[in-house]
Amino acid sequence: MSNQITRRGFISAAAASATTIALAACGSAAPGGDAAAEYTLVEEGKLIVASDLDFPPLDSFEDGEAKGFDVDLSKEIGERLGLEVEYLPPTNFDAIIPMIKQGGKADIGNSAFSITEERKAEIDFTEAYLDSNLGIAVKSDSDAKDEEALNDAAKKIAVQSGTTGEAYAKENMSAATIVPLTTVTECMAGLSTGHYDAVCADLPVVGNMCTVSFTDCEVAVEIPTGEQYGIVVSKDNPGLTAAINEALADMEADGTMAELKEKWFGTTD
Amino acid sequence: MRNNRRDKSKGLLSALAMLMLACALLVPTTALALTTNKATARPNEDGGSGVIGGLDTRLTWEGTVEAGEEVSAVTLTLPDDGTFDDSSTKITVLEGLSRASVEGEAVASGSKLEVTFSEPITEGYLLRLEVEGMRFPSEGGDVVVGGTYVNQDGEQQLADSKPIATIANTPLQALVASLDEAAWVQVWNSNPFLGMFFKPQLLVTAFATLVPGWLLCLLIVVIAYPFAIVLGLIFALMKISKNRLLRLIAIVYVNVLRGTPLFLQIYIMFFGLPMMNINIDNNVLGVIVIAINASAYLAEIFRAGIQSIPQGQYEAASSLGMNYFQTMFDIILPQTIRRVIPTVTSDFITSYKDTSLLSSVGVMELMMFAKNLTSVSGNMTPYVAAAIFYLIVTLPLIKAVGYVEERIAHSERGGGPRPKGKTAKTSAAEAGVKLSELAVHAEALDDEHAYAPTLTPSFASEV
Repeated sequence: MSNQITRRGFISAAAASATTIALAACGSAAPGGDAAAEYTLVEEGKLIVASDLDFPPLDSFEDGEAKGFDVDLSKEIGERLGLEVEYLPPTNFDAIIPMIKQGGKADIGNSAFSITEERKAEIDFTEAYLDSNLGIAVKSDSDAKDEEALNDAAKKIAVQSGTTGEAYAKENMSAATIVPLTTVTECMAGLSTGHYDAVCADLPVVGNMCTVSFTDCEVAVEIPTGEQYGIVVSKDNPGLTAAINEALADMEADGTMAELKEKWFGTTD
Repeated sequence: MRNNRRDKSKGLLSALAMLMLACALLVPTTALALTTNKATARPNEDGGSGVIGGLDTRLTWEGTVEAGEEVSAVTLTLPDDGTFDDSSTKITVLEGLSRASVEGEAVASGSKLEVTFSEPITEGYLLRLEVEGMRFPSEGGDVVVGGTYVNQDGEQQLADSKPIATIANTPLQALVASLDEAAWVQVWNSNPFLGMFFKPQLLVTAFATLVPGWLLCLLIVVIAYPFAIVLGLIFALMKISKNRLLRLIAIVYVNVLRGTPLFLQIYIMFFGLPMMNINIDNNVLGVIVIAINASAYLAEIFRAGIQSIPQGQYEAASSLGMNYFQTMFDIILPQTIRRVIPTVTSDFITSYKDTSLLSSVGVMELMMFAKNLTSVSGNMTPYVAAAIFYLIVTLPLIKAVGYVEERIAHSERGGGPRPKGKTAKTSAAEAGVKLSELAVHAEALDDEHAYAPTLTPSFASEV
C-alpha cells in the first residue's frame, strides 16, 4: 500500500532468501548476507550494546541485568548475527551517541532513540523498529495540565537530556524553565516530589512510570509526533547497519517482532 | 491497513478527540477542510532559546483534516525572505497516536514548500510536517506560516499559523558563523580529538552561555561556606568537649556525613524533604546541602587543628587566670586558624567542585548548562569549557594554598614574620600567643627580611 511497507516487504523477502542461501551453503556457520562479513566489532564475536537502561518498559536494569523490549531486541539481533550480546553498564543517554561516534567502547546504541535528522548527522540509524509518541506527565492534583498552562515562566519542566522530549519542550513550551536531567526516573521522582511541574518524555515510558512507579502522577497530554525508534550505529560501520536491518526485517517477517511487542506492551499495534 | 483501522470504534473516537482538540486549539475558520493546528520552530540559538532568522532550523507544522474532506496536497509559504531551499521534509500522518502509512513528496522552491501525498488524507487524520534545514527571514520578527491546500474541490487557502517569534542574528552567532567558515577551524576540527573536545565554535558558545551557571556555583559555595565554618566549629568544639552527649552527637554527625557520598545526601535532601512537605527553593536547598556536607569535613579539620596546639598553651593560659572560653577564643583558636587555613582552602575547592553534583537534581549550575549544550551538540567541548570555568577559581586558590603553606612551614622553621615591637601589644592574651612563637619567630615583617632565617629570639623587645 505504501512505499514503506513495500520497501520493508522487499527487504524482508530479500533477507529471508539471503539467509536461506547462506544457511544452505554453510550449514551451521554464522548466518547473514553479504553485509555480514564487512562489519567491524569492538570485540570479536560480541555485539556490545550501550543503553541508559532506565527507560521501562523499553530499557531497564533489574537485579544487575538489562531488561526490556530493546534488550530482547538486541539479544534477538545478536542471535541472528551469531554474536554474543553484551550490555555495557547503564550509560548516560546523552553520552551514547558521542560514544558510538567515537567508537571503541560499544558497537551499537539501543536505547529508544527516536530517528531525527539532527542525530542522523552524527551517526547512522537502522530502519525503524518501533513507533512512538511523546507524553507530558503531571502530578494528578496539579492544576496545570496542558501545554498552554505549562508554558509559563513560573513552571519547571523536567526532561531527559538529549531526548526528543527535551526538544519538544524547548520548542513548544519555551517560556517555562526546561530542566534537563540524566534519566527519566530522576525526572519523575522530581515531579512526584514537587520539584518540577511536568515531565515531557516518550509516551510509552511516562505511561509506564505513571502506572507502575509514580502513581501520584498521570499522563496529562498525549502528543502525537509519530516518531520512530532506530538503533544507533557508527557511520564508519555501514556493514553492521545493513546486517541489523536484515535481522530486523527478518524479525518483522517471521513474527518475532510482534511477539516481542506483545510481551512488553501487551499489544502488537 | 488504514481502512481497517478506521472501522475500529477506537480509531473513530480518537479521531473525534483530535478534531475537537483541533477546533478548541486554533483558528476560528472551521469551514476549512484542513485546519492549522500549530506551527513551531526549533530554537537554533546555540545555548539559547531564540529562533534566529537566516540560520538553519526546523519548522514543525501540524494540521488536521476535517470531516468529509480529503486533502491531497499542502503548500506552506513563508514571508518573502524565508526559504525552504535545501530543506528536507519529514511527513508524518497520524490517526490518534498511530502512524498511518501515507507517503508524500516535498518540493521546496524559495519561500514555498509544496507537499503532495501518495493518496489523499482523509478526515480525522493529523498531518505533521517537519521541515529540517529551512530558514526564516534574516531580519527576525514575528513570522506567520501561511499557504494553500488541495482538497476534492480544488485549491483552498490555508489559515495562517500563530506567529512564530524569531530574532535577527546575534553577535555571538555571527562569530560562530565566521568560525564555521574559517579554514583553520576546519583543519582543526578534522582531527577527531580536537574536534570532539576543543571545537572552537562550541568553545565560544559555551563560554558565553555557561556564565550564569558558573555564577550560581560561586554563589552557592560562597553563601554556604561561612555557614559551614560556623557549623564545623561548633561540631569541632562538641567533639572535644568533656560532655559525653555532646561528643556523641558530634561524632554521629561528622561520621555519617563524612561516611556517605554527597550525591546521596543531595538525593535525600531534594527528594526526602518534599515528601515530608518541606518545600524549599532548589538553590537554597543546594546551599544547605553543601553547607552541611562541608561542615562535617571542617569539623574534623578544626578538631585536628585545635588538638595540634601544644598542651603548654592551655597551661600558660590558665596560669594567666583565663577561663575555658577565653583560652579557646583568645589563645587556641587564633593559632588553630592559622594552621588550618591551607586545609580549609582545599576543602573550599572541594565544595566548589561538589556543586556540580547539584545538576542531577535540577539546580541550574555550571554542569547543567554544559550538559545541556553537549546534549544538543553531541560534542564534549562544553564540558571542557566548564572545566576551564572551574579552573578559573580553583587554580588561583591552589596557588594561594601553596603559598600559605610555604609561609607557615617557613615560619615554623623559624623564618616567619612577626609584628614589629611598636605594634605589639602586651596584653595577657597576646603574651599567651607569643609564648608559643618565641622560639620560632624572626623579627622581620618586611619582605626583605621575611626569608632571612634568623633564630634570634626577640623576647626582650616584645614583653
